[in-house]
Amino acid sequence: MSTALPQFDRGHGVCEVAIGFGDLEIDRAAVVEVMGYRAGAMPEHFGELLDAALAQAATLSVVRAGYLLVAAGRVDERPGAVVLGGTVFSTQKIVAGALLRAERAAVFTCSIGPAMEEWTRAMMPDDPALGYIADAVGSAVAEALADRLHDHIGVQMARHGWRITNRYSPGYCNWSVAEQHRLFALLPPQFCGITLGESALMHPMKSVSGVIGVGTAVTHADYLCDVCGVRDCTYRAFHAGRAAHGAGGAAR
Amino acid sequence: MSDLVDQIGSCIERGKVNLASPYPKDLKGQEGADEYARQAIAAGIGPERILGACNDGMQRIGAKFGRGEAFVPELLMAAKAMNAVMAHLKPFFAAGTVKPKGQFVLGTVAGDLHDIGKNLVSMVVAGNGWEVVDLGVDVKPAKFLDAVRSHPGCVVGLSALLTTTMGNMAATVKEIKAQFPSTVVIVGGAPLSAEAAAQMGADGYAPDPQGAAAFLAQFAAAA
Repeated sequence: MSTALPQFDRGHGVCEVAIGFGDLEIDRAAVVEVMGYRAGAMPEHFGELLDAALAQAATLSVVRAGYLLVAAGRVDERPGAVVLGGTVFSTQKIVAGALLRAERAAVFTCSIGPAMEEWTRAMMPDDPALGYIADAVGSAVAEALADRLHDHIGVQMARHGWRITNRYSPGYCNWSVAEQHRLFALLPPQFCGITLGESALMHPMKSVSGVIGVGTAVTHADYLCDVCGVRDCTYRAFHAGRAAHGAGGAAR
Repeated sequence: MSDLVDQIGSCIERGKVNLASPYPKDLKGQEGADEYARQAIAAGIGPERILGACNDGMQRIGAKFGRGEAFVPELLMAAKAMNAVMAHLKPFFAAGTVKPKGQFVLGTVAGDLHDIGKNLVSMVVAGNGWEVVDLGVDVKPAKFLDAVRSHPGCVVGLSALLTTTMGNMAATVKEIKAQFPSTVVIVGGAPLSAEAAAQMGADGYAPDPQGAAAFLAQFAAAA
């Protein structure tokens, strides 16, 4: 999907992007596979629960997404650090390496709102399988939203002749989740309806934040698992399974 | 009578909760763990045998989970069926006829909101006859310390999903061990390994809910 969506200037370079639920590509088969099932192997009952959860997600998700383009630079004496919008981040080597040639960076957030997770929480006590599946659906919608925003930013940057990197989030690739506070300090308060708790976790939970490198010499990697240190990861297993069965993996 | 006990174990393994439950499809319209537990108690079968059936059923589905033949939804359905049985056993626990094997204080460490794995551990451990004190998610070390103080002799379980919250887990283990050196702590979660658990000073590592139950069984046997 390589189309730009309408975006609105919120001042000081902050853009909010008009993404609707219908703009998202939610891969039902991928949700099934993330739960561990091979194609066609999920019991029918759980398939029905999945469809119910997907229908709820379409009704309950209130999608918001946006970004701020900031200057990006490196810290010569610290190979695992980058400067984004004048703030030094200890992103560690994987992210710093990806942003090494970036002249700018898009600091982004997006969220599907609180209603889906509230419904998920309400389902858990009486129907934990539905609650679990609804949680997986909420995550899939949030990831699809982040993918769509990533795509939009790519199209916007291409208009200037710039390329973009993969998206990187605090909490992954050894980048401490505590740095979320610094990332959010670059954005307006409660941007996209997201607040941070004391432990740097986002509310609503089904939100994604991060950074995308922008520049003429940056590159997009097809596959991130090779450079990530997390061995026992749901998404690694998912991508490995897809590769083994010829479905092809998706990079973020 | 042993048929009823076997049926309870089988219903838990298959995740057949009760008569009204449409899952699994091939058992639709048949009685489930709830009805068989009621019948077993009415037939005078002791709560320990019923608890044993819970344990057996969870062990079998847990083994399938370990072999990749079942996944989290199946495990959750099994746990739900087990909870239906446990509801019938509550009066026996309350009266002291059946005593819990111990107290297990459990929580997801600070900075981490993931609760599915933690909830599975909670359900499986409860099904093995332990009283579970579930502290929830994003639990700071002080809350674990308060719980250990309130539940002397408890075993503590720490859960984490994010690689980046392993530091918080290590800090929590350290604080518990500093204030309560004899308290046994086990850790589990996707980013962990036995080596990482040992490095942070934990007494045990549980790769899955059954691992936690097995560790606690060993602990109870040795106590």
